[in-house]
Amino acid sequence: MDQLLVLNTFMLLTLAILSTPIILPLLSKSLKNTPTTIVNTIKTSFLISLIPMTIHIHSGTESLTFLWEWKFIMNFKIPVSLKMDFYSLMFFPIALFVSWSILQFATWYMASDPHITKFFIYLLFFLIAMLILIVSNNMFMLFIGWEGVGIMSFLLISWWHGRAEANTAALQAVLYNRVGDVGLILCMAWLATSMNTWEIHQAISPNQTPTLPLLGLILAAAGKSAQFGLHPWLPAAMEGPTPVSALLHSSTMVVAGIFLLIRTHPLFNNNPTALSLCLCLGAISTLFAATCALTQNDIKKIIAFSTSSQLGLMMVTIGLNLPQLAFLHISTHAFFKAMLFLCSGSIIHSLNGEQDIRKMGGLQKMLPTTTSCLTIGNLALMGMPFLAGFYSKDQIIESLSTSYLNAWALTLTLLATSFTAVYTLRMTLLVQTGFVRIPSLTNVNENNPAITSPITRLALGSIMAGFLITSYILPTKTPPTTMPLSIKITAIVVTVLGLIMALELSKMTQTLIRPKQNYMSNFSASLGYFNPLTHRLSTTYLLGGGQKISSHLVDLSWFKMMGPEGLATLQLMAAKTSTMLHTGLIKTYLGVFALSIFLMIMSNY
Amino acid sequence: MSSLHLSFYSAFTLSSLGLAFHRTHLISALLCLEGMMLSMYVGLTMWPIQTQTPSSTILPILMLSFSACEAGTGLALLVASTRTHGSDHLHNFNLLQC
Repeated sequence: MDQLLVLNTFMLLTLAILSTPIILPLLSKSLKNTPTTIVNTIKTSFLISLIPMTIHIHSGTESLTFLWEWKFIMNFKIPVSLKMDFYSLMFFPIALFVSWSILQFATWYMASDPHITKFFIYLLFFLIAMLILIVSNNMFMLFIGWEGVGIMSFLLISWWHGRAEANTAALQAVLYNRVGDVGLILCMAWLATSMNTWEIHQAISPNQTPTLPLLGLILAAAGKSAQFGLHPWLPAAMEGPTPVSALLHSSTMVVAGIFLLIRTHPLFNNNPTALSLCLCLGAISTLFAATCALTQNDIKKIIAFSTSSQLGLMMVTIGLNLPQLAFLHISTHAFFKAMLFLCSGSIIHSLNGEQDIRKMGGLQKMLPTTTSCLTIGNLALMGMPFLAGFYSKDQIIESLSTSYLNAWALTLTLLATSFTAVYTLRMTLLVQTGFVRIPSLTNVNENNPAITSPITRLALGSIMAGFLITSYILPTKTPPTTMPLSIKITAIVVTVLGLIMALELSKMTQTLIRPKQNYMSNFSASLGYFNPLTHRLSTTYLLGGGQKISSHLVDLSWFKMMGPEGLATLQLMAAKTSTMLHTGLIKTYLGVFALSIFLMIMSNY
Repeated sequence: MSSLHLSFYSAFTLSSLGLAFHRTHLISALLCLEGMMLSMYVGLTMWPIQTQTPSSTILPILMLSFSACEAGTGLALLVASTRTHGSDHLHNFNLLQC
């Protein structure tokens, strides 16, 4: 009982501390926020959130808290309920650790921005919305957090709103997220009508769920987590500042969709259709994103596509009915992906805004800390044994190879794993090694502790996190214990093959051969032709169809031509023919008319 | 016949004769048409009262709405012919016939 009280208290205290920079300036005029105070707030919250995590690791305590109930209608109550189970207790410290490092980095990155405090407040709002999403037990509160992170993503991507591409990218993010929201609302409506509750612990009881709400959940996850079909917003979201890309679009917001599927995973248990859909969607996403990353030249876009690819891998894990493994991959991925983004931010600012890797080179000697951590992050991403990424990624590939599924998803995922090795090696070679291709008077400097300490902290996390989490958490489903040697080393073999191929290819880049365009490189470089096809075709058809139906069909045809004007044209034909015959003697006609009526009346008497 | 019947029969007959024998203006024909409509309205209102059938009380309202449309059409024709012929004098209407 005592442990439970401490758990609940410290979780609520974490959330309360996070909201002090927002509430305190409203109460008194003298309490102003500065970036340093906000960083210290998040550091304090992180340290406090370690306590509930330790309690959970020690004794497995979980808790479900009901704070206040909104009596919506007679039969349907919406409580404000917080669920502190394994997923939320583990994710809080990880999210807060990553946010602390990113915000500390942002004090240097955004130092020349006049509205830096507003930027930090926006990031804080985003963090609070994300944590509400994580800790909520109620679909309504989850939806509040879901929309909150969507809105903050919009505001943060268009931070430099004078730039037209940034505005377009933010609009793209909002629209694609909106399409996913339709799925979430569908699932919420189904839950409300058939189970009369929005509580997740009450909704996961039935044995067989019909496929419709699960399709809604998958659509929501596809929209928020940039699966294939709703993916273009994630590379476009790199228009935002690098701290935004590091926090939102690598560690926290994009995993909200996968987290939703993890929370509701008992619904998926007995529905093989939904599971196969997740599997195939994830496999397509991971391969497509990895293919697009092969020929990108912007360092942030490469990392964005690798995020998209890892999200596809998480979706594949959900499709294998292994939610805890997906959560493990979320946790380890947060560390090294945030670190990769911070390293790229350090490189970009040092090179005075240069983001093209064809114009970087030889940075190993000029930015030693940053490039070493970049290498660590890339190795963790590739699944180098015993770094953080290995514990989750290798386990996923092993489970894929030993379970009963279609070989197509397996092939795509393995191919994507080898592509991961290829594009990370390409990025490493072009950025760090080789001849220097930057202008000679660039002021390359990383001596600020605001840069090096977050990056090294996250590097420590990238190395240790996988080991620590798997040591202290028991898996809920038994992992496969025996398998043939070739299956066991599949992931490593595939990665090494990719590395060897990439090394061979990189030799060709130094022999001055004019690059030829073939259909495969064109496909990869233009992101699979997806953006022009969908953005232009779908909008043309929709708007054209709308114009045809409302303007041409209803307004012009039915209301004008088949209505009054049609009648008028019909009469006009008859009138034109018979106007020749009339003599126009109206008074005579009417006089004859009166005479005839009189005669008819008189004839009756 | 009762004085009630005489009133609207005579109103109807006089209006129809006015429609047939108007002299110069088209608008006087339209006015007589309105008079015919008005007498029919009074007649239709008297009928449910005389025969004690309240369910056909709606009939004069229906007729009123249709005759309003018809009056509108008539006025539109008047305005159209005034625009082309310059006035609504009837003897102008077939002046330029070949």
